Amino acid sequence: MSIQFLAQSSQSEWIESLSRDATLFFPALTKDQVHWQCLDPATPGKDDDAPWALGHIRAAEPVKSFFFTPREKVAEMPGKLEPAAPGKRVLFGAKACDIVALRVHRKMYLEQEFKDEFYRGRRENTLIIVADCPVPEDSCFCNLVHGRPYATDDDRDEGDVALSVVEGGWLLEPLSDAGDKLVALARTTPATEAQLAAREASRQTAAKRLAETNPKQFAPDTPARIWKRVQDDAFWSRHAADCVECYGCLMACPTCYCFLLYDKAKDQGMERTKVWDACYIAAYARVGGGANPRAEFVKRFYNRFFCKFSHFPTWQKMPACSGCGRCYKVCMGKIDIRKVLAEV
Amino acid sequence: MGNIFQPISAEIIKTIDETPNIRTFVLRPEQEVPFLAGQFIELTMPGYGEAPFTPSSSHFKRDIIEMTIMKVGRATGALFDFKVGDTVGIRGPYGARYPLEKFEGRDIYIVGGGVGLAPLRALFLALTHEIDKYGRIFLRYGARTPDDIVYKYLIPEWEKMKKVDIDLSVDVRDERWMKKVGVVTCLMDEIPCDEAKSIAVVCGPPIMMKFVTMKLLEAGFKGEHIYLSMETNMSCGLGHCGHCKLGPYFTCKDGPVLTWDQVKDIPDPFV
Ligand code: SF4
Ligand code: SF4
Ligand code: FES
Repeated sequence: MSIQFLAQSSQSEWIESLSRDATLFFPALTKDQVHWQCLDPATPGKDDDAPWALGHIRAAEPVKSFFFTPREKVAEMPGKLEPAAPGKRVLFGAKACDIVALRVHRKMYLEQEFKDEFYRGRRENTLIIVADCPVPEDSCFCNLVHGRPYATDDDRDEGDVALSVVEGGWLLEPLSDAGDKLVALARTTPATEAQLAAREASRQTAAKRLAETNPKQFAPDTPARIWKRVQDDAFWSRHAADCVECYGCLMACPTCYCFLLYDKAKDQGMERTKVWDACYIAAYARVGGGANPRAEFVKRFYNRFFCKFSHFPTWQKMPACSGCGRCYKVCMGKIDIRKVLAEV
Repeated sequence: MGNIFQPISAEIIKTIDETPNIRTFVLRPEQEVPFLAGQFIELTMPGYGEAPFTPSSSHFKRDIIEMTIMKVGRATGALFDFKVGDTVGIRGPYGARYPLEKFEGRDIYIVGGGVGLAPLRALFLALTHEIDKYGRIFLRYGARTPDDIVYKYLIPEWEKMKKVDIDLSVDVRDERWMKKVGVVTCLMDEIPCDEAKSIAVVCGPPIMMKFVTMKLLEAGFKGEHIYLSMETNMSCGLGHCGHCKLGPYFTCKDGPVLTWDQVKDIPDPFV
């Protein structure tokens, strides 16, 4: 299906049809941050007046929360736990960097030998509409990790529709087959040349802004440079100096995939919980006998860079970073990945 | 595939006290766990946690799994209170098997320390089960004292097997001990096989692995022929959770057995 124009007057009708048999989440602006909010008025904490923030940058919460939940019961004994049947959802207004993050998680949880059925169930039942970022912020650096501030056909693995705000309405570009069906529900007209040109101009302005904020690409041999500095504690310590070890960067990160399984006793058996974990935590790599290969923080600090920008790119041909800037935004010491990588 | 985090249950059908703090648990899982030597399973001690162990039984025997376990932490401590008839949980098998096809026609030099003989036993049994495929099997095993030797009751039988050559050492002897005294490397001064072509397989405490590896390299073994059981923290066993990362490897997926060539560029691989 070609790119379609949906006039403002028909938007609520489309949204209503999307949310008829799915739970719809949209980016709502609260104070100066965007947060995902559920359209269902019965949802606790919902602020009915929160304005939709399709034109802002990504939400504060990492998109992984929808699929790889912060805490979840995954097994029990006696008995057998199977993933609950997931409900249908629409994420209306994700960002291009969210798509990159989901790609990392697909590689980890669905494309290895063992498949995570909890993740698969949720992911397969969620449709994603990706809204352009007309005004990237200073924390954004998707342009340094092979990304862009809008979705294209290349993003059809994770994104279903690309949405661009234009004068008088939205342009909708179906990416996936499911996206075709979504767009078919809308009362649209084919986009005009002028509308397409407006979309292109807005995208170019956003890309230009990103290029101005982040003018210099990371060196192509960054993975090798990081590995070469594996023993260079002085370099990493210098960059880690302002870290207060709050782990906020890792908890906010949409690509971080680490988790911990822990069991607790329950009626003659056990219940197993899967929780987000972070490689900055001291006990993360400690073995049963007590030895810890990364007892010093500087080794853990290094590990994060090695994982995202050396190991993952070598292994999966993409960095495990979406350039979303959440880690920088939450960092009390304002440690900036870009700065570390520029010097590595 | 189902839920990859959910264990199946297994009944403890027998326990054998190997040493004061090492016990063999013989388990009958509710369905077969088709492991191959070198692979490990995640053992759930219901209520106390889960930990990875490599079976020590032969992979040709599928209905039961034996695991020889040392009491080291909370979960293994709790396991020692489990009795015959109790239920534990099993997930797996996980990780990479020993590439036995690459061992064919070669001498195999196995070095174990302490409880490290447990996973090596699965390999030893797999090799001796089809002994005609391989050259000679050398087993060099060291323990702290004669009491700390695992499988004491099996070693005499193994020594009688054809093409098998076993030598033992203890760090501290008692009055009955007639064999070598010293750390296991003292058994390696003469290596009776062609080092350049033979396979070496090592499992034991990290410090022992380090010194054995150095000795093997000195003797002329090739890095690609030295197979080491790497110990890292593991959580999921599935290659998903990140805990077991060792340099560029997920030891739960690429290992736990890695060759010296794979780990030699990692600073301090034996922590
Ligand atoms: S990093 Fe790029 S895609 Fe993500 S919010 Fe910022 S501009 Fe948008
Ligand atoms: S490392 Fe930082 S910029 Fe990269 S994906 Fe994670 S939070 Fe976003
Ligand atoms: S133990 Fe979880 S990835 Fe290896």
